[in-house]
Amino acid sequence: MAGYIIKRILLMIPTFFVISLLVFVVLNFAPGNPGADILGAGDGGQSANLAGQQNESYRLFKQQFNLDKPILLNTRFNLSVADVTAVAENDVNLAGDVSPGDRIDAQEQIDNWGKYAIPALVDILQNHPERRVRSYAALRLASGGQRPLLNQYSGKRLTPEEKVINNALYAENNTIRQWTFGPSDSEAKELDVRGKWVEWFETNHDRWDYSSTGTKVSILLFDTRFAKYWQNLLKLDFGVSHVDKRPVLATVLSKLKYSITLSFTSVILVYLLSVPLGIWSAVKQNSAADRVVTVVLFMMYSLPSFFVGVFLLNLLTRGTPWQAFPTSGFESLDVSQMTTLQYLGDVVWHIALPILCLSYAALAVLSRYARTGLLDVIRADYIRTARAKGLPESIVIMKHAARNGMIPIITLLATLLPTLIGGSVVVEVIFGIPGMGLFMFDSITIRDYNAVMAVLLISSSLTLVGMLLADLAYVLVDPRITFD
Amino acid sequence: MSEGTHETPDPTEAPTERVAAPTTAVPTDDLTYFDIVWTQFKKNKVSYFSLYALAFLFLLAIFAPVVSSTHPFVWTTAEGTSFPWFEGLFNRRYYENPVDTFFNLVMVFGLPLLIAFLLIVKRLGKTMPEKRPRRTKMRRIGQTLIGVFAISFVAILAKPYEAEYVDYPTMQAQAEADGQAVSATYPLFKFDARQTTFPSLEGPSSEHILGVDRSKRDVAVRILFGTRVSLTIGFIAVAIYVTIGILLGATAGFFGGRVDMGIQRMIEITMALPTFFVILTLVAFLEEPSIFHIMLIIGLVRWTGVARLVRGEFLRLRNLDFVTAAVSLGYSRRRIIFEQILPNALGPVLVAATFGVASAILVESTLSFLGLGDLSAPSWGQTLDEGYKSGAWHLILAPGFAIFITVSLLNLVGEGLRDALDPKLRK
Repeated sequence: MAGYIIKRILLMIPTFFVISLLVFVVLNFAPGNPGADILGAGDGGQSANLAGQQNESYRLFKQQFNLDKPILLNTRFNLSVADVTAVAENDVNLAGDVSPGDRIDAQEQIDNWGKYAIPALVDILQNHPERRVRSYAALRLASGGQRPLLNQYSGKRLTPEEKVINNALYAENNTIRQWTFGPSDSEAKELDVRGKWVEWFETNHDRWDYSSTGTKVSILLFDTRFAKYWQNLLKLDFGVSHVDKRPVLATVLSKLKYSITLSFTSVILVYLLSVPLGIWSAVKQNSAADRVVTVVLFMMYSLPSFFVGVFLLNLLTRGTPWQAFPTSGFESLDVSQMTTLQYLGDVVWHIALPILCLSYAALAVLSRYARTGLLDVIRADYIRTARAKGLPESIVIMKHAARNGMIPIITLLATLLPTLIGGSVVVEVIFGIPGMGLFMFDSITIRDYNAVMAVLLISSSLTLVGMLLADLAYVLVDPRITFD
Repeated sequence: MSEGTHETPDPTEAPTERVAAPTTAVPTDDLTYFDIVWTQFKKNKVSYFSLYALAFLFLLAIFAPVVSSTHPFVWTTAEGTSFPWFEGLFNRRYYENPVDTFFNLVMVFGLPLLIAFLLIVKRLGKTMPEKRPRRTKMRRIGQTLIGVFAISFVAILAKPYEAEYVDYPTMQAQAEADGQAVSATYPLFKFDARQTTFPSLEGPSSEHILGVDRSKRDVAVRILFGTRVSLTIGFIAVAIYVTIGILLGATAGFFGGRVDMGIQRMIEITMALPTFFVILTLVAFLEEPSIFHIMLIIGLVRWTGVARLVRGEFLRLRNLDFVTAAVSLGYSRRRIIFEQILPNALGPVLVAATFGVASAILVESTLSFLGLGDLSAPSWGQTLDEGYKSGAWHLILAPGFAIFITVSLLNLVGEGLRDALDPKLRK
């Protein structure tokens, strides 16, 4: 048993890895640019990106979220001077016929290459025949040669040593930022700038030495978006939201309270109702009452929950015709002035309708399972034996039959785990419950990649755990099943 | 019916046939598996009725333009008589969605083909008394006709006919105001699904029997044309994932070993993905999701159930005698998998597919309820969303019942099929 569990858990690791890979690739290849949205330039206003100030913040934004890196494999150590020259010439529009779209792409490309383009840029700065391109190369060096400060984005407190390093980095960045020349500057200024860059390049030479195989492999596999994401994931860091810059995990945890309250209440309610209902209709099999219950449950099963949700919302909360429940939310605004009992009542009053919506379909399914489960065992020989030895019918049903008949129902509980935590998008959206479902929905509509990733990964891992628990539950409740 | 001929038992027919057959009145060796299931299915009156109701729903979807169109059947002016309704059927500027083109083609071309097929079948029943060769011949004719239909559909899509959209009701009103004699014969409703010219949020009236929505469109017509969209999404999405599921499941179950291990892992990975979240994310991240994207996404995410079913069936069947016989006869692997084993494994798949159509329709309407669907196609979920936002009862009840009825019918047919396929329940 222990061996089996360990084996299953070990198998979960590669499974989870592949899931994360799949989700990551899909999200990253999806059309749409998160940075453009952040800058408010999503409506085709690419010129906003070009404007100097905004351009710099866009570059930093990409750096912060590793969006400047390739998604899965990084081959930038192979970057040749010819590649960079071509892109640089496009960006300065040397040929004179480059479309604005291509120029934006070229600029983005150089930005993304960042430090990998440095050796080529130094080469261009020295050897390119066209002065405009040389000037451009110096400009790109001045931004690409800067190094990120330590802990720049994490918001952690710095140790004194780190502060010293950061100050040095800051000073260096500030110096090299000045080493540029424009069209109006003199030859002498250009030569001076070029000399400074060459000297700087020579002194820092090992920062751009990608010749050893080890460096190549580590760049190829580990200097990528996916690798950076996993580095953080191992520290249980799901990144920060693109929107409010708060850690995603903290937000998710704060949402759990609402979703779990909702789903646990509804699951308990469903089990409390469906098991007796199932047993009752199995005992009265084919009676008129059983048929009525079957039809009603079937209809409940076929009713879409968003229809029921909207129906109840309109009927009972909006005053058309009744206004018995609040329209949305998990609690009233003035909860701080309530006693615990009042608060409890307030929450119940708010979540009664959402719980109804979450429960009715599950009730229909589970009571059918309970009914068939009991019907499966009720004709077994040991039940006949129990009756033959004169046990009262109630004991035969409750003690002998129900225990075995309810096995499928118990194991179903484990597979409910992801829904329990993940909440329901539709119900939370309709009733404005600020839980995981609504959070997921909002994150999707504003393309908050880190948040969507986190929710997908958390619910996938919960599903994996749920599947394992379901298998274990089979063994625990049914001694006929073993793993050997 | 024909006399039973002494043919060798077809190895593709499961042993269950011989167990169940003696209890029915028809000669035993002339009963195919399909006959047994069909007889059994007909006994369940509710499911049998649901199947007919579902067929009616399809007819409603197919003949939607007959009920409602802005193009009159006959249009007579001083200049002469024209038939705009027929001309409009394949006009891509009037029916922009390929789904509409498909259903219109079914209406004018597919249904006549079907009737011709049924007539041929009837004649064959007289000329070819033996059932199995007749079935083979029927299948061949059927495949040819489907091929003809598919080619004509592709041809229409490849070279779309486009003509200016003409607003006939307005033109008629103008012409009459000018004192010209115009006679026009319209369908039952003079609206189409995109027309936005009615008083917003008006309740049901004799002109708009289900009222008007927030965007000033007629609800009844949108629900009618929404039937086309919902049924298409349901059936095609399921067709996609049933195909994937059968291919992967059959490969895993038949070959076993490492192949099975690999496919099992794939199944496990896909199963662990939170399906609805993934569908939601993918649809939301597409810039302009069309209903074809939605079908494809549903199809690519939901195949695991079918794959597991088929794999299980293959594991069970591949060690049976008829497979050994096929192997010793030297049949190719492809023939064994697809012609010998697969037909026996299809029963549970059919049941899963029927329930799957219902749930795919639910997924689609949930997506469009959340505002993530194809905004250009009329969809029940979209109307319900307008009802949610405006609080108008007619916008909540009409689409709600449309979804409820369609889903219920499919679930009822599914239940009937499941019981009919279950040998334990045969009496």
